[in-house]
Amino acid sequence: MIQFIVHRSLTMVLTLWAISIVAFAIIQLPPGDYLTAYVAQLNASGDQVDPATLDALREAYGLGEPFYVQYFKWIGGIFSGDFGQSFEWRTSVTSLIWGRLGNSVLLEGLAVLAMWLVALPIGIYAAVRKYSLGDYLTTVIGFIGLSIPNFLFALVFMYLGFVWFGETLGGLYSPPFEQAPWSFAKLWDFLTHAWIPVIVLATAGTAQLVRILRANLLDELGKPYVVTARAKGLKEWRLILRYPVRVALNPLVSTIGWLLPTLISSSIVVSVVMNLPTTGPLLLKSLTSQDMYLAGGIILLLGALTIVGTLISDLILAWIDPRIRHGGS
Amino acid sequence: MSILATRSVHKHASKAVLLALALGGAAGSAQAFEQAPTLDAAVAAGELPAVDERLPANPLVVEPVDRPGTYGGVWRSGLRGGDDTGWLMRTVGYEPLVRYDRNWEEVVPNLAESFESNADATAFTFHLREGVRWSDGEPFTAEDVAFSLELSADESFPASVPNWMRSVDNPATAEVVDPTTLIIRFEKPMGLFLEQIASVDGVQLVQYQKKHCSQFYQKYNPDADRLAKDNGFQSWAFMLLDRCGLANEITRWSRDDIPSLTAWRVVEPYAGNASHVVLRRNPYYFKVDPAGHQLPYIDELRMRISESVDELTLMALNGEIDYQDRHLTTIINKPLFFDGQEDGGYHLVDNLLSSMNTMTLQLNHNHADPVLRGLFQDKNFRIGLSHAINRQEIIDVVFTSQGEPFQAAPRPESRFYDEVMAKQYTEYDPGKAAEYLAEAGLTEKGGDGILLRPDGKRLSFTIETIAAFYPEWPDMLQLIQLQLREVGIDIQIRTIDRTLYYDKRESNDFDAQVWQGEGGLDVVTEPRYYMPFDPESVFAYKWQAWFNNPASKLAEEPADWAKRQMELYRQIEATADRDEQDGLMRQILAIARDEFPVIGISLPPNGYAVVRNNLHNVASSMKHAWAFPTPAPYDPAQWFFD
Repeated sequence: MIQFIVHRSLTMVLTLWAISIVAFAIIQLPPGDYLTAYVAQLNASGDQVDPATLDALREAYGLGEPFYVQYFKWIGGIFSGDFGQSFEWRTSVTSLIWGRLGNSVLLEGLAVLAMWLVALPIGIYAAVRKYSLGDYLTTVIGFIGLSIPNFLFALVFMYLGFVWFGETLGGLYSPPFEQAPWSFAKLWDFLTHAWIPVIVLATAGTAQLVRILRANLLDELGKPYVVTARAKGLKEWRLILRYPVRVALNPLVSTIGWLLPTLISSSIVVSVVMNLPTTGPLLLKSLTSQDMYLAGGIILLLGALTIVGTLISDLILAWIDPRIRHGGS
Repeated sequence: MSILATRSVHKHASKAVLLALALGGAAGSAQAFEQAPTLDAAVAAGELPAVDERLPANPLVVEPVDRPGTYGGVWRSGLRGGDDTGWLMRTVGYEPLVRYDRNWEEVVPNLAESFESNADATAFTFHLREGVRWSDGEPFTAEDVAFSLELSADESFPASVPNWMRSVDNPATAEVVDPTTLIIRFEKPMGLFLEQIASVDGVQLVQYQKKHCSQFYQKYNPDADRLAKDNGFQSWAFMLLDRCGLANEITRWSRDDIPSLTAWRVVEPYAGNASHVVLRRNPYYFKVDPAGHQLPYIDELRMRISESVDELTLMALNGEIDYQDRHLTTIINKPLFFDGQEDGGYHLVDNLLSSMNTMTLQLNHNHADPVLRGLFQDKNFRIGLSHAINRQEIIDVVFTSQGEPFQAAPRPESRFYDEVMAKQYTEYDPGKAAEYLAEAGLTEKGGDGILLRPDGKRLSFTIETIAAFYPEWPDMLQLIQLQLREVGIDIQIRTIDRTLYYDKRESNDFDAQVWQGEGGLDVVTEPRYYMPFDPESVFAYKWQAWFNNPASKLAEEPADWAKRQMELYRQIEATADRDEQDGLMRQILAIARDEFPVIGISLPPNGYAVVRNNLHNVASSMKHAWAFPTPAPYDPAQWFFD
């Protein structure tokens, strides 16, 4: 097990490094750089920048240097905990990211939790009571959830909130709690706001989970060991939960790692629509304005989170499935 | 003009003092001015000087739009995302030395109580109000203005500043005569200087408090660079930007300790992880109402930072926004806001946009391909295109029938309005279009019905647009594409990113681009579609480069008609006489009318603002442009809640 974790950690570091290079390269791909975006914005508002000033800025920001020089500067800074400066905000990247990253992790963590809590029982029920009214009902609702785009769902929620309750359902905190330190009151305030985005984010994933779990479980339920256990007089629910469900969970658990990136990318649009203070809108903005250190920093951290998620999913897998734990021998 | 304005201010001021004295005398004290009750405690505790000591001897008296107001309240509005300094400039930031009056016709005193220029417009004298103070209580003097100019003109200070501050061929110098008198001199005439510094850019001249900012300036403090590096900045300039901010950037609002002269000052800064920006009254603000009450009436501004226009729209519908005319007040949203007035407790106020067009279609007169260049420079070709566009259809489909066909020409409200120029070639007439295209040498059609160019190739060119700025453009272009196909012209539409859009101008890598119609009211200062004037004159990018700097590598000698316009414009800059300027401008416009360089589509429908019903003294119709940063010229300091 220890060897397994060490081995995985090494590959994780290499993967992260690869992510950092690719991310940095992709951010550099569009024509121009932050300064051209900046000049475009100034020109549109009637201001002009003279070329000498631009050259001075370009030199100060190190934008004129070749790609690999810029990359090593950036990555070298990261090793000492300095993610560089955001051009647009004129402040350090770390000060911008931390608070929002916390909100992102919290929100997406809650969404994953909600997905599993809802999908597990429904999936099991739908498999055990195949073709019952309940099975069809959950299937229909699930597919509706799957087919409505997240952002539209968020918009509909906001609209209904306005029409029915006269509330503007934006943001994650009420004004008095925005800058307050964490407390139970603040946590409660967060939860009263967070349930909507959590529902929006969890719907599509829940439907997927239900269908996968139902299919896997149906495969298992007819197998001889289940029949044997039943013949020996084991209680039905205990029997199902103990063996077939554990086996059926295998494919689900191994995709937890993929779940995170999907959630993150879908939550960007939802965050923009609902004005949630997560990393999503910040990332989108930094990509459009070519604020490359900010964008690179966010992508790197999200990449790291995904890799950690994959590790966690592997560990859980080893824990629930003895075949993996014992190396298939 | 300036003398009149000064006299009227004096009159108001003396009236106010007399009135206040009469009131104060009745109360048995010699207090000339009144302050907001929220400041009473601080004054009583000795944390703040008395109101008479905070105000200048001759404060600016602001005439209420409707009636004198009462103190208090919070003005709620919305900011879009991370760099929406525009809204802050338009609500709070606009406090230049001199300003525009509410009709956008004259330059009137603001921080300066009077001003005059010499006959050839090379020296401008400003007399500042005695006793104006920064928000930290320090006196505001001519030294501060001279310092702002000196810093802005410094090449080693990497900041975007208005062009005149760093002009190579006509540099500005400031002479401090005494603490309240300042002369700004130029080598060559600057006939439009007062207009320039009365516009939104004028705040650059009064934004740095010398005492606070000079400690970060290498010129004044030899240790500034070391100080900056100790604090983790690359150089003194970056630390100065961080500590003092720049008027047209977020840095101006991202700290709460930058001395300012505005009616409200930052208390919760505009930072990356903030969800609100909060500004509170500046106890040293230099304006009063006619009864001597120190302005502003409103205590606090609270701006929601939102990435989501939908959220802001819902907030406004829900009555959670007191005044806003940005982001959410789109053409598409107007029916929604109109229907929601009663439930939301707000009403709509007209904004007269300075823009004269929903879309200016600019063909690249400096195209690298000689055949296309020849066509685009041929007036007959452009007239043919113009007649082939069915403007009424576009107005009906895209703008719910709001507006009228209009070329790139001054608006009907402008003193430069010329009906011929505004309406020529706007009637939809495919027959006429074909005649003019034939005149331009386009007679042969290929098998697919598309005209053949003089060199025998199929006539096709690409019109570039961006979607983010004005979502109607792609829709309009799709209609134009179908209409032009009818007369045998094939256009391709390419929607690209804004950065690339600007990049392609520099590299001369485009056939045609579109933008809106700036310069509908500010004709003299913004003639970008009437002549090759600045980098926004996309139809002749190389010619405008020649006009602004013949030595630049982009520059190309313009056609004779454009050269003539440029000569005339230089003459406008060389005179301080308004009537003479207007006469010269009319000549420039006459050339534009004859040459027809840019094709317009339609007059934009009026903009609008959402105003809560309990907010008063908001002008009922406001002009609106970037240079005239509405609502600031209509004095939000005298708005009040009941």
